[in-house]
Amino acid sequence: MIKHHPTQDLLQGFVTGELPASLSAAIAMHNDMCPSCAKKTAQMMDAQASQSFEELDMHPDSVDEQSAMAVTSSFDFDDMIGAIVADEAVASIPIRQPKTVTMGDKDYVLPQAIEIVELGSLSHLGKLTRARLQLGEGKIHTSLLHIQPGGEVPEHTHKGYELTLLLDGEFDDDEGHYVAGDFIMLDGTRTHQPRSEHGCLCFTVVNEPLKFTQGLNRLLNPIGPFIY
Amino acid sequence: MQVFNQALQSDTECFKPMTMPAQIDNTQLAQLLSNIATKRDKQAFTTLFGFFAPKIVNISRRKFSNPDQANEVLQETMSNVWRKAHFFDVNKGQASTWVYTIMRNVTFDMLRKVQTNKEDNLSDDIWPMVDESQAKTEVYDDHLAKNHILASLDTLPENQKMVVKGFYFQDMSQEQLAEHLGLPLGTVKSRLRLAIEKLKVQLGEHHD
Repeated sequence: MIKHHPTQDLLQGFVTGELPASLSAAIAMHNDMCPSCAKKTAQMMDAQASQSFEELDMHPDSVDEQSAMAVTSSFDFDDMIGAIVADEAVASIPIRQPKTVTMGDKDYVLPQAIEIVELGSLSHLGKLTRARLQLGEGKIHTSLLHIQPGGEVPEHTHKGYELTLLLDGEFDDDEGHYVAGDFIMLDGTRTHQPRSEHGCLCFTVVNEPLKFTQGLNRLLNPIGPFIY
Repeated sequence: MQVFNQALQSDTECFKPMTMPAQIDNTQLAQLLSNIATKRDKQAFTTLFGFFAPKIVNISRRKFSNPDQANEVLQETMSNVWRKAHFFDVNKGQASTWVYTIMRNVTFDMLRKVQTNKEDNLSDDIWPMVDESQAKTEVYDDHLAKNHILASLDTLPENQKMVVKGFYFQDMSQEQLAEHLGLPLGTVKSRLRLAIEKLKVQLGEHHD
């Protein structure tokens, strides 16, 4: 059972479209696996839509409305309406072509949210395989990370946040056991050391380099950029 | 809102918008969307446009400093409303939420273009407007369902029947059909959509 969910703030950012694509995709994938968050999101969508569209009417003489009018007055709406309705074509239902990726000798069908995102080439390190998603979000790095059975990520911390969405399989860390759909958001104050007995595939988003914290693992700091 | 409607009406000969109450009436909005979907009702669209345009521009102005971009959000959002109205399902959500979703998606893709130089339009994958179960019912590949549909097909006007048969039973693409029938692609698409709407009504509950 999924025990880890996005916070209310993250869901709100998802609803308004204000999160980066990486985190938006993560929440979309979580919601596909988590009916309770999907339902919550739908309710928040209704509330947000009503609030956004009713705001004007609550302040009929607001400066906002006047400025919107001022901005649009130079613009011919009739032309816009005419141009739109002149188009006879209706949108057809998009045909999806599911894309698979092979990581650690296993084939995975990519979730719809990241289906068309370009994947970088695979990097391997021991039992870890990583493919970077080319989202172009600067310091925010997004990857698919595969852990083969018996593999683990050395204990590490990070300055920013680290999101792990478990897409398939399971893993454990000192805090517990995680299953597909778990949405694990860590901030810089926590360390963890995921290990997977039977293997797993994760979607990860990190906005600062990882730092490996423990004993000999400090020597592994060069692999920080591998996962980051 | 009233000022806006007058402005709209002043030069408009063909499409006169009905008056909309200022607050959101989702039942009325849903009816307008349905008229657009089934009848390509331009007056219904003009009314919807009059209701949403100032709101969309106002919201977009807070996200884009360039007024042209705010207008682009408006144009793109309302074109999607016009072209995708048949995707709206009154049983699955409110009309105002549906329009908000389109506006949010358009804005997301535009901001992403500005911020990342990527033109990948991810919003439709992150927030799909059509769920997959809906897409599957459009395929009609079940044998019994196919026979049932064949019977209903005969009730369609000839021009729609040809398009449906070509597309669903001869596996021709819409482009191939357009060429084959010597029609503009847009006409093929709208005939197909109208035919499907009619078939859906005929087949009624059996398909839900």
